Amino acid sequence: MPAQHSYADLLAANAWIRKASDAFYFQCTARTVQESKLFPVNPYIALSYLNAWYRYPELFRKIEAVMSAEELGDHARERTTSANIITNGIIEQFYLGGRQMLMDMGMLKATDAMDDVMYVLDFTQRLNLSYHRNHAHVLPTDAGLSAQLLPERQVQVFEADALGTKPGDKLHTSVAHFLAAVSQYAFLKNSECRLGIHNSGPYKVGGGEMLVREFVDLAESDLPWLDGVAENVELNNVTMPVFMKDTHFNIVDDWASFEAQPSYNHDNMYAVGLYTSDYLSDGYIPVHMDSAAELADYLDHLRDTIHDATQRLWKEVAGWSRDQMIDSGLLVYYNVPKDLAHIAGVYEQEDWYTVEDRVQRFKPLFNDEYGNHLIAELVGYISLRSQQGNESHMAKLSGARGDMWSTIPYSVLGDEEWTGSVGPIRGGSTSLPQKTALYTTTRGKLTQDQCNEAARALRIPTLEDGLRHLDDAWVKNHPDDPRAHELYRRTQARSLVLKDKGAGLLREDVLALRKEAGRDD
Amino acid sequence: MTEAGAIPDKWGGEAMNPTVEFFHSAIRKTVAERLAASGKTWEEAVGDPSLELTREDFVRIEADMLATGYRFEASAQVSAVEEPDKYKPEAAIANTGQQPRDEQGRLVVGTGDNVFQAKGDVTGTARLISTVDVVMDMLVNGVPENTIAVIDDSGGTLTAPILEGFAGVVCMGGTIRSHLGILTREYNIPCLMAADLDGLQEGDTVLVEYSKPAADAYAERDAAARPRIIKVD
Repeated sequence: MPAQHSYADLLAANAWIRKASDAFYFQCTARTVQESKLFPVNPYIALSYLNAWYRYPELFRKIEAVMSAEELGDHARERTTSANIITNGIIEQFYLGGRQMLMDMGMLKATDAMDDVMYVLDFTQRLNLSYHRNHAHVLPTDAGLSAQLLPERQVQVFEADALGTKPGDKLHTSVAHFLAAVSQYAFLKNSECRLGIHNSGPYKVGGGEMLVREFVDLAESDLPWLDGVAENVELNNVTMPVFMKDTHFNIVDDWASFEAQPSYNHDNMYAVGLYTSDYLSDGYIPVHMDSAAELADYLDHLRDTIHDATQRLWKEVAGWSRDQMIDSGLLVYYNVPKDLAHIAGVYEQEDWYTVEDRVQRFKPLFNDEYGNHLIAELVGYISLRSQQGNESHMAKLSGARGDMWSTIPYSVLGDEEWTGSVGPIRGGSTSLPQKTALYTTTRGKLTQDQCNEAARALRIPTLEDGLRHLDDAWVKNHPDDPRAHELYRRTQARSLVLKDKGAGLLREDVLALRKEAGRDD
Repeated sequence: MTEAGAIPDKWGGEAMNPTVEFFHSAIRKTVAERLAASGKTWEEAVGDPSLELTREDFVRIEADMLATGYRFEASAQVSAVEEPDKYKPEAAIANTGQQPRDEQGRLVVGTGDNVFQAKGDVTGTARLISTVDVVMDMLVNGVPENTIAVIDDSGGTLTAPILEGFAGVVCMGGTIRSHLGILTREYNIPCLMAADLDGLQEGDTVLVEYSKPAADAYAERDAAARPRIIKVD
């Protein structure tokens, strides 16, 4: 029976598969080799792909029953959550990775689970198009390795409120110490992966460029292994816009990593801000930004609590079994879409922190060597049997005969047999301790049910009352429209400098207001 | 069908790595046998739980490979600790006895890629940091002064609780973009990544040329320009 998808749908799906292949190849070969003496990294990565393959279709249908992928992208763009550049953009990669591994094992054909594959591809494309709406590319690689997620109204608030600083002063030193400690903690709590660190931008600002640095899932929240050890970490997500002179961020990539020319030098930072937000906040909330001294003291305090959590967590992890280390990394990778469930108010810990039975069975295969070489061949060398194309084929970037992810044969539109789905989620388990603590949010420490209830009730002011579709392209020609003023006023509601200033400001106005408010002092 | 498997593949070949090839070939063969025995079509069989491969199938496949005498390379310490019989012993730092000498006649025991250009070279005591026990000891008792940490792990987690205490880092793997490279830059701790070591021993006093320019991630490696690790005692 012919598949119930149009030729156009299949063409678009295959183009998305190929774009994903090429983008992931670039990232995997250009960034770094992942290894760790502590965590069996590549075995857990490979297993996470399988968990994604078996579970994502049903979980995304559950989320979309409440909120569409496009709405999720809009909501994520207004705040810092774990639904961000790397996590949103990598969902289809992990899912297709599971598909490719099973195809290479001869357990799956390219015509299997067609409805699931088409749905996940469509979901992730709509999500990323929406999330990246401001720069109108679906991935940062399409934008020449930049990620300008934010509209003018938000960039203006960050620039106006930032506190001036210079090398040698207390704030400057406190920022450097905080960034080091939180980066290290982010790698540890995420089992050696970079998913806790996020950067977006760059944006032109008065003195150079702004990069928005973010750190997510820091407190007792979704990660069960932070229960207790992170009890004193008050903020789950941190947003830190940093303002740099004499620095061009020439790369902000699909994994939300950055490079700069000349190299990033902290001495070039001339202003900084600090915010928190999450799936329960209606925007960015300033944190101790009344003065440079207050912000420096708070960063020192936050750094101390994070340092303490790092030491406590490391001691826990050092006593874990290999299976526990595998599960922690596997789950961190697999659950990259988890904040979409939080945003929609349908989050269940069981959905995101258990390993499907169909994945558990593979564990005996995943010794370190097999895991390392499988991942190297799958995403680096593109050398697996299932990845090879015809003898004339030359892949984008590598020129190799193979492509990372296989496309769907068009024959399914004719009389080729196919199957629709991997079926419903089966039972799952984990070797890690169950979650016991409450979830740290901007509304306080809540239960899972309270989080979901609050998320479903949340209305983000900048997306309500007909404002959702008023983007910079519209503002350009309607600067005096009352709706533009309302949109900007809502973004400025918590601004220390721009509150109620409206839509008419240009940079010189913002800089003048900054100066008047003493933010450069 | 080009080999024992249920899915024909006109253009497929073998995987590069023998372990990957062994495992995947064995899985394909098992799938093909089970499909043939079932009498079902692929589409009927692929979602049939009664025909699924099980944990026991995968245990058998790995056991078959170990039965050939092959042993796997370990990367995480815990893997070899829990199942020592499955893994090869860990290789020690090479010592060819052919180390070059610097302008002052001192032994050059390694080179590496500089993560950032430090204000000066650093002289310290080389200490191999490769196990949880060593890190735990330094966490409890403190990192000895002037420790140049020699680390065979480019990740950022093994040394997480004690990284701040190092005078310098020499990492035997990774690249300047690895997690350890990122963290040492954030902490302003001089660091060489992708170090090639020859003759360096625990407790050696070494001078590391951290004041040389940072490596260019996009340029071909210039071996002569790499910062050196020089034995000074």
